[in-house]
Amino acid sequence: AAPQGRLLCGPGLRRSGAGLLVTKCGLLRHRPGGGGAYWVDSQQKRYVPVKGDHVIGIVTAKAGDVFRLDVGGSEPASLSYLAFEGATKRNRPNVQVGDIIYGQFVVANKDMEPEMVCIDSSGKSSGMGIIGQDGFLFKVSLGLIRKLLAPNCEIIQELSQLYPFELVLGMNGRIWVKAKTVQQTLIIVNILEACEYMTAQQRKQALAKLSGN
Amino acid sequence: RQPLSPCVAGERLCSTEEATAGSGTYTRHGFIFSSLAGCLKRKNEDSELPVVSVVRDSESQLLPKVGAVVTCKVCSINSRFAKVHILYVGSTPLKSTFRGTIRREDIRATEKDKVEVYKSFRPSDIVLAKVISLGDAQSNYLLSTAENELGVVVARSEAGVQMVPISWCEMQCPRTHTKEFRKVARVQPQFLQT
Repeated sequence: AAPQGRLLCGPGLRRSGAGLLVTKCGLLRHRPGGGGAYWVDSQQKRYVPVKGDHVIGIVTAKAGDVFRLDVGGSEPASLSYLAFEGATKRNRPNVQVGDIIYGQFVVANKDMEPEMVCIDSSGKSSGMGIIGQDGFLFKVSLGLIRKLLAPNCEIIQELSQLYPFELVLGMNGRIWVKAKTVQQTLIIVNILEACEYMTAQQRKQALAKLSGN
Repeated sequence: RQPLSPCVAGERLCSTEEATAGSGTYTRHGFIFSSLAGCLKRKNEDSELPVVSVVRDSESQLLPKVGAVVTCKVCSINSRFAKVHILYVGSTPLKSTFRGTIRREDIRATEKDKVEVYKSFRPSDIVLAKVISLGDAQSNYLLSTAENELGVVVARSEAGVQMVPISWCEMQCPRTHTKEFRKVARVQPQFLQT
């Protein structure tokens, strides 16, 4: 029992009567600050939409005023054509079927279809919107995305010393990469996919070999 | 009882001196006539005259009228409305369920534009609602819960346990102690069964 303050019960745990029930398999983590927080770190590839998450979606259909996007969840998400920066009823965004869009969820729960927008609460796009031509989109597990999104991630710093590249990370496990040439793009894609199972030592060796070439 | 024999509406069955009129019949000029097309049923009572009634194979469906309070179960929700199955009309159960719709602006009487359907109903909630219209071509009754006595009566939490109402807009799960938002009905005390 925590001495003071409230114990935070995080993802993977559920309160049941007087105790806690574990609802996902994984490693139990603990953070001691301010009453303590417990959560379960689990491996997962299937994405479940959560409000506030930034994700990469692929446009599958246009239905009237709304685009249908595949975000890797159980249902396609809907995106209104007015949810872009500077979009009005006369000034529609130029979105075609098959385009890749980076946006965030405003409504996401298990009972309703998720809704996305490409503007934040103040109306600015802040990096969201249609992702441009070229580049490479691929899928990794959700744990790797969380690792890459941590501040001062070593993998991204080491890769940026190799070649300059553009990177978009979606919380639904999708990554979009674009470098100067196709070969450089594919090398970065292969390293990011392999990072899931490589140790830091193996990764440094692989990068040293590549930068030597 | 005697074997059933078919009859049509308007057929003269017998005189009122021989029997009393039951369901599905009416009396005119001292005779009993049938008001339905069905089977004639004659029930012999010991002390009084036998009762004559006309029954159909299937009982007539009770239809919800405008203004009736119905009990329904939410089957799906949307950001604009909730789709429900109507189970009971008043206190009589229906043999086949009708479909109904509760629009977002009919959920509450006050602050209609701030209503979120997700914070009022969830799928599998049991809701008391009032019929406001017989519906459109898709035969969906239009229902409303814009009164204190209407709204969610039974709901299950995400843990699967039946929740306890704590205010007009919140219910709490007794096992996990999490609070969930619902538009809760204030059921009159005489209808509560403990």
